[in-house]
Amino acid sequence: MSAVLVLILRLALSICLYAFLGWALFTLWRGLQQQGLALALRKAPALDLAIQHGQGGTTRRTFQQTELTFGRDPACDLVLNDDAISARHVRLSFHHGQWWVEDLGSTNGTRLNQSALATPTVLATGDQIECGHTAVIVSIGASADPSPTTRL
Amino acid sequence: MNHPTLRRNLTSFSVAFLLLFSVILTLSPAVRERTWQTDLRWDHWIGFAIWLALFLLVQHLTSRRVPDSDAFLLPTAFLLSGWGLLTVWRLDPYFGARQAIWLTASTLGFFLLLRFPTDLLFLRRYKYLALTGGILLTALTLVFGSNPSGFGPRLWIGGADVYLQPSEPLKLLLVIYLAAYLANRLPAETFESLRAQSLQRVLAIPLIVPTAIMTGISLLILVVQRDLGTASIFLLLYTIILFLATGKRRVLLVTFAGLGLAALVGYFFVDIIHARLEAWLSPWTDPSGRSYQVIQSLLAIANGGLFGRGPGLGSPTLVPVALSDFIYTSIVEETGFLGAAALLTLLGILLTRGAHAALTAPDRFQRLLAGGVTAYLGVQSLLIIGGNLRLLPLTGVTLPFVSYGGSSLLTSFLALALLLRVSSQPEDEPAPLASPRPYTFLVGLFFLGLFASALATGWWAIVRGPDLLTRTDNARRSIADRFVQRGALLDRGNQPITITTLRENIFVREYLYPDLSPLSGYTHPIFGQAGLEASLDGYLRGFQGNPSSLVLWHNLLYGTPPPGLDLRLSIDLDLQRSADRLLGEHVGALILMDSQSGEILALASHPTYDPNKLDETGDSLQTDPNSPLVNRAAQGAYPFGSLLDPLRAARFGQVSGPEAAQLRAFYEELGLYSAPDLRMPVGTASTFGEIENLRVSPLQIALAFSPLSNGGVLAAPRIALAVNTPAQGWVILSASRGPLPVMDEAEALAAAEALRVSEELFWRYGARSSEKEKSFAWFVAGTLPNWQGAPLTLVVLLEEDNASLAMSIGEALLKEALEP
Repeated sequence: MSAVLVLILRLALSICLYAFLGWALFTLWRGLQQQGLALALRKAPALDLAIQHGQGGTTRRTFQQTELTFGRDPACDLVLNDDAISARHVRLSFHHGQWWVEDLGSTNGTRLNQSALATPTVLATGDQIECGHTAVIVSIGASADPSPTTRL
Repeated sequence: MNHPTLRRNLTSFSVAFLLLFSVILTLSPAVRERTWQTDLRWDHWIGFAIWLALFLLVQHLTSRRVPDSDAFLLPTAFLLSGWGLLTVWRLDPYFGARQAIWLTASTLGFFLLLRFPTDLLFLRRYKYLALTGGILLTALTLVFGSNPSGFGPRLWIGGADVYLQPSEPLKLLLVIYLAAYLANRLPAETFESLRAQSLQRVLAIPLIVPTAIMTGISLLILVVQRDLGTASIFLLLYTIILFLATGKRRVLLVTFAGLGLAALVGYFFVDIIHARLEAWLSPWTDPSGRSYQVIQSLLAIANGGLFGRGPGLGSPTLVPVALSDFIYTSIVEETGFLGAAALLTLLGILLTRGAHAALTAPDRFQRLLAGGVTAYLGVQSLLIIGGNLRLLPLTGVTLPFVSYGGSSLLTSFLALALLLRVSSQPEDEPAPLASPRPYTFLVGLFFLGLFASALATGWWAIVRGPDLLTRTDNARRSIADRFVQRGALLDRGNQPITITTLRENIFVREYLYPDLSPLSGYTHPIFGQAGLEASLDGYLRGFQGNPSSLVLWHNLLYGTPPPGLDLRLSIDLDLQRSADRLLGEHVGALILMDSQSGEILALASHPTYDPNKLDETGDSLQTDPNSPLVNRAAQGAYPFGSLLDPLRAARFGQVSGPEAAQLRAFYEELGLYSAPDLRMPVGTASTFGEIENLRVSPLQIALAFSPLSNGGVLAAPRIALAVNTPAQGWVILSASRGPLPVMDEAEALAAAEALRVSEELFWRYGARSSEKEKSFAWFVAGTLPNWQGAPLTLVVLLEEDNASLAMSIGEALLKEALEP
């Protein structure tokens, strides 16, 4: 019976089509999984910051995360109580294997090593970021050792 | 991601898919005609071979030239184009062969583009030259344009059987131009700060003006050409690329609002837009006119159902332009909702990988380029699929990779080459990206569109499918009739009246007793169905009477109902012949029925017609002033004059006339206010309460008088007695109701005796009536209550003032019926 034969072939046809889709989607999913794992393994080097406040006094802090912001806003990672600093003033972020600093459109601007910061710039150990009356000296840790952070 | 394994697997699956597709296509004529004694299809194997050779070659060369390119894009695109190629071939081998040639040419173009230097700098540099060239070429169609099909908008350039539609590659050139321009000239500010600015300021940047001008020129040409589908694609591409470059979602909103406004203005002032929108909004009002295409498209999808009819086994050629605009419909009809869902998923994979290539592109130009190309593929696919499904108004654009069309296929493959090119530099760090939101948003929108398309396909194919398929403009019913035996109509002695015979593997309906046609009717591919052929269609077509598992099985195997069932009618062909002979050329009707069982033994309506010659006479029959198509005995409505007086006298006595209310109740009892319920088309009855304007059919009169011969009992009329089922043999079709006693026996006896003629075995009565200068002669007669055989009632109606003729016809037939 030709029709029964063709019905079986039609079934096989659908199976091939869905095998293609299944395989493609499975591979896409696995790619996503591997990408996620790779990203999870990638750790940013710790950032040691020496914060010199305008009124004198220095605090040291170490950060483990890949992105942090400075500003007067309590939601910032580093809260600076300085009148010349905007609510969200500057952002440090780790991507492309580097730490970058970027001004977030602050009112009084940011200076990096005495020159105004216009575009996102790569940070190196010893760089000095100035915002308002505060200066922050950056040192990038070699390893990602967890160390206790001090409270301001 | 393991590229070689992935490529190998995807390649094997797509080759296996198309191989099976080709095998099924080869076998399809045998399935359709249900015999191996037929010509199988072989020609499409050329197409398969060309596709396979190109696919393997392209796989080989791409893995050498751009080894790191995206591993999903190529197999997906080739699966789509192979599926399209074989579908086109299945629809029309000539166009299939052309498509195979175009596929070869497109692959060539694909390679040429892949050979260019990696960074695509040349495209960036010569953007104006390329776009201007494209626009000029498109403008040429205004002067030298032609249309390969000989009519319709002239959007093509060429001759000698090779035509190019310049607006297809122009889409790609526009994408290249916009990507290059915006990557070069948008302010070097970071994306983030651009986002922070207001829309007005972004759009007020004078640098954007040239892009608006270039896009505007392209649009203008397309609008002048009335290629509105492509024009909307251009507008959408422009905004999407602008959106990707600026991240301003409002750009999209403005365009959608603009398109809506344009549609609204077009609806009132531009004929073609009005027609398209009308066909979209209310297709059911004009199914044979401007919405013919979209309705036929929905019917094809409905025919596909969940599993599809199988390659080569549907009837997608019924949809106009199935090759290009409606290829999606063809695919759904033959592979069903399952195939449609797979096709939409393939498109989804293509678009996701396109967006992925855009996100990982090493510079801004390539990112915008890949984004724009992805947008082109997505927008065009969704526009035409949505149009096929009545989700969107119909725009005559092609489905990338799948539809027939050289320019479209070439453009799709060039787009593929660009995507592969952009995706082939994984060692380069992707360009900085402030926010992936525009890209994810765009892909999200496309996914939403694909999902909506899948839902709409399921709606038409599965939810609305069964309803749609019973529509009379579904030509698949008459196609199925050619391959499935339709049940026969037999008389009460199993003599054939209407049968189906096989001629050269095709079933043909034969009407052996054409004079009965006002009752038995016809089934015809153009004129549809009438009479018993229409009212008993369920049994004759095999939907009714067969076990539902058999119906489902045949639907799965062939997409048709199982063989139809024979029906035995109550007609006695010998009496019927006499009735037709006696009535002869006179216009009128005659009914002879068994008063006890309600079975109609003879039913004549003259003039009659020959359904065997419907091809030639069908049109004139419908306009014939004598209306031969009408079954006068059951569908006629005539005044009856004093015909009912004997019945009135029997109920109410001779002297005083009854009150109107009593009379109404009596008429109601006799069934004069209701259409007789039997499996046969009957006319609508007069509304309850009419006395002066009461109109009746001869069938109603025969029923009303039948209690006189049947001891006062009114039997239910019957025409179809039994159906021959495969499982149980002849199964009786019962009457719609039981017998109704309407007079007591003495009353009936007295009435019959009053009408008795000496020396005869029957009672009789005649009357005249008239309406608007037209006179009618009625004659009723029936056996006496003490008659030992089957009691009979007879009614003759002549549409002429000739009572004696009516009487002689009636008496002659009754005497013949009473002779042993």
